[in-house]
Amino acid sequence: MSVRSGTRPEPAWRARLRALLRDTTLAGRPLEWYLSGWRLALILLVVMVIFPWLVGSTFVADAIAVGIYITLAVGLNIVVGYAGLLDLGYVAFFAIGSYAEATGTFGALQLNSVTGEVIHTPVLPFWPLLVIGALVAGIFGIVLGAPTLRLRGDYLAIVTLGFGEIVPILFNYFPFWFGNTGMSALPPADINLGGLTITFSDPLNRIPFYYVVLAVVALVILGSFSLRDSSLGRAWVAIREDETAAASSGVNLVRTKLLAFGLGATMGGLGGVLNGAYIGAISPNDFPFFVSITVLMMIVLGGIGSIWGVTLGAIILRFIDVDLLGRISQFVQANPVVNNPVSPLHFLSTVDFNQAKYLIYGIMLLLMILFRPQGIIPDVRRRRELKGIGAAVESTSAIGVLEREEAGAELAAVDTLDQTTYAGPGSDDIGRSGD
Amino acid sequence: MLELEGVNTYYGPTHALTDVSLTVNRGEIVALLGANAAGKTTTMKTIFGLVRPRSGTITFDGKRIDGHPTSDIVASGLALVPEARRIFSRMSVMENLQMGAYIRQPGPELDADLERVFTLFPRLKERTAQVGGTLSGGEQQMLAMGRALMTKPRLLCMDEPSMGLSPILVQTVFDIIQEIRAQGVTVFLVEQNAFMALNIADRGYVLQQGKIVLTDTGKNLLTNDLVRRAYLGG
Amino acid sequence: MHTMALAAAGPAGFLNFLQAIKIGITAGAIYALVALGYTLVYGIIELINFAHGDVFMWGTQVTFVLITALGITSTIGGWQLVGVLALLVVAASVFCGVLNVTIERLAYRPLRRAPRLAPLIAAIAVSFILENIAELWRGPGQIAFPNLFPSTALININQTFVVEYRDVFIVVLALVIMFALSRFILGTKLGRAMRATAQDPEAAQLMGVNINTTIALTFLLGGALAGAGAVVFTVSTAGYVWFFTGFQFGLYAFTAAVLGGIGNVNGAVLGGFMIGIVEGLSIAYLPQGSILSTAVVFGVLVLVLVFRPTGFLGAQVPDKA
Repeated sequence: MSVRSGTRPEPAWRARLRALLRDTTLAGRPLEWYLSGWRLALILLVVMVIFPWLVGSTFVADAIAVGIYITLAVGLNIVVGYAGLLDLGYVAFFAIGSYAEATGTFGALQLNSVTGEVIHTPVLPFWPLLVIGALVAGIFGIVLGAPTLRLRGDYLAIVTLGFGEIVPILFNYFPFWFGNTGMSALPPADINLGGLTITFSDPLNRIPFYYVVLAVVALVILGSFSLRDSSLGRAWVAIREDETAAASSGVNLVRTKLLAFGLGATMGGLGGVLNGAYIGAISPNDFPFFVSITVLMMIVLGGIGSIWGVTLGAIILRFIDVDLLGRISQFVQANPVVNNPVSPLHFLSTVDFNQAKYLIYGIMLLLMILFRPQGIIPDVRRRRELKGIGAAVESTSAIGVLEREEAGAELAAVDTLDQTTYAGPGSDDIGRSGD
Repeated sequence: MLELEGVNTYYGPTHALTDVSLTVNRGEIVALLGANAAGKTTTMKTIFGLVRPRSGTITFDGKRIDGHPTSDIVASGLALVPEARRIFSRMSVMENLQMGAYIRQPGPELDADLERVFTLFPRLKERTAQVGGTLSGGEQQMLAMGRALMTKPRLLCMDEPSMGLSPILVQTVFDIIQEIRAQGVTVFLVEQNAFMALNIADRGYVLQQGKIVLTDTGKNLLTNDLVRRAYLGG
Repeated sequence: MHTMALAAAGPAGFLNFLQAIKIGITAGAIYALVALGYTLVYGIIELINFAHGDVFMWGTQVTFVLITALGITSTIGGWQLVGVLALLVVAASVFCGVLNVTIERLAYRPLRRAPRLAPLIAAIAVSFILENIAELWRGPGQIAFPNLFPSTALININQTFVVEYRDVFIVVLALVIMFALSRFILGTKLGRAMRATAQDPEAAQLMGVNINTTIALTFLLGGALAGAGAVVFTVSTAGYVWFFTGFQFGLYAFTAAVLGGIGNVNGAVLGGFMIGIVEGLSIAYLPQGSILSTAVVFGVLVLVLVFRPTGFLGAQVPDKA
């Protein structure tokens, strides 16, 4: 049998990095002082503010896309990471936000009653829509959540998936939203500040819009941190750990879960509004299941429950998407081994690695779940929970917590042990949630 | 026949069994006594590989069985009547007994064993087609015992066979346990009903907080002060 | 609502209705075959095997490869057709069964003691992988598949209600397979071990059942049923193979399993036919039915899960120990 000891020794590279951060000083303070808490956030913010002036406009567009995905990932993280509810239809809220933006800035389809001509009238500018789109998505989150949140975790996952599929179908079905052809979504109108015009509509200069996205991302991350540390955040942890115990200690399960769902949906809607303004035209086909899974992938990759983790996950996936795969394709095609028509690898010259994107995502997702369920940057709180795993025992409650948890915390009383089904590592027993 | 040597079992950080050593010899009835949560069921689960010990050895007929899959342990001639019976509630009585015979080949020997079970538990014979979940508690206990006997064990382990039964039924169950032993099956049982268990047991062990604190013959334990105070209400 | 519309529409309307029901039953038979795979696996390890629809899709790919290898490009008839169909069913069943067992071994078994959502996410990942390998191999488009069945109609009323050989083939094959499955589960030792493991895995182990083997067997069976369903789907209704078939089809079949009561074998069959008929009627009677029918089926899924998560025949989720 295998025995896992309490703590695994720290890998050498990490110990060395830690020592480096401790021993190097800057203005009298060790580097690690700068890299903790709000100081890190501040440094990142400053870097991101000067980012466009460092890299130029091509990367700015990519950065906007990354920012939109960060908004989604941080929002879904509230649902999956904080409250432990698996939402497989998160794309629905993204779609609702996008369509809200388009409906407001471009206008829904109308027919001129005299000529029968197609017309559309803008209703609202971008700025109020940023709030309205998010709220509408949030309301849909609550409407969907109210009847479904009492379902078991895997059923909830499928119901949300169904919702994620239905929403684009409805946008397609109603002529109001121009059906399958989709509609335009306009960027914010120009702002005139006494002679200085800030223009958002120039596709060659995305820098002004970049700052809009940056502000939203900063707010979302800040909000996510304060939610985590609020009493609501503690209630989420409580229901994730043990729903029954949480309920008996006074946590209102329905309200707490609904708030997670609603807040997550709100952030999804916010991302959607930004998305509409960014890509300029949307159609129902832009919101397939893949989007939900991609966002989920960012969370699992980065670290479920960890804000910096999911942010990093969004950056990595978006980087793979817009940049890395293209580079790989170019590199492979330019490689003499592949270029040479007689080479056995010549078939690779026609392969576009961008097409393998979802395959790569799938493989990454599987490997993460199997070998590193806590992600690249594990949630600090959960890492603490994970320490000292003896006999790995399936969690009795924590839906959405992907790691095996230690038994002791929840079952300190030996009393319950004899009545509960357990198996040590490697035994044949099937783990089940005892709900 | 069955030997536990320095067995330690953990649930996460909780040390459930500490250096448990005990022996069951061929032909004996041995009782393991202890209060609720003393580790009795854990001992059974550890023997059957449903929980793995962190250290120590378990041998059956001289062969190591710790670390083996449960199905192999059962195939080597050990059977467990689990706590709370755990019969297959949506299967008929007959199907439950057929599950007991899962590891065996059909043939006259199996038919004879089925007859033997029906002789021990005539109620089961009357109810072969009834769905397990609809049986009364006593009938379920008999089914669980009959099912375990169908594996043709050389050592029958029983976890709280008297739990939840009326006094008359408890008496019946303990009579049957003696009958089973008379038919040549060694019996190892875990009980809270110390009086009944020690009355039929050749030897007994007392488990407290995961440790064996006392062992003696059944008769001596019945008169032992600690046992009397702790388990016999005297 | 439909019945009123029918009364107004007269005999032609009734024939349309019959035709919609027929289409529903044939589609439903295939949903039922695939739903059985979801229900068997859920019954035994409580996992929504999200990749099951994609295992089905790989069955359609195998069917296509074999038909191409056999050089068949158009209608065949008589015993030749029967032989080809038998070969396809056996090959696709074996392929999908083995694929499903492999998936269980590599992706799900290591997560058996992990919290419930970990294997579900693993299943989603596997689904992604299976889909995208097929897309890379076959391209993103649908590939046309020859029509093997003679188009002579067995019943033809006014060109409106038409029953062809293929319809008979679908329903007969599905019923035969389902009958064989139920004999296996109810009447054999292995089937009994499967049911026992589903009800109480620990007690099953105490009977000497090796539950790894039993679970693998369950995946083998489920995969084989999906393979058979894939052949039926490809040769008789789809007319194409496509890497993305499994996603929607899998969700429909899952809906069927839930509708009947997931974990319940009879329920999966009943649910399959019900979903087929719901879909058939939606396409026939709703405006833009082919778009909306998807929303209707997902709507059914959501409503059933919310209001009656145990389905029509009641879930047979294993008893909690």
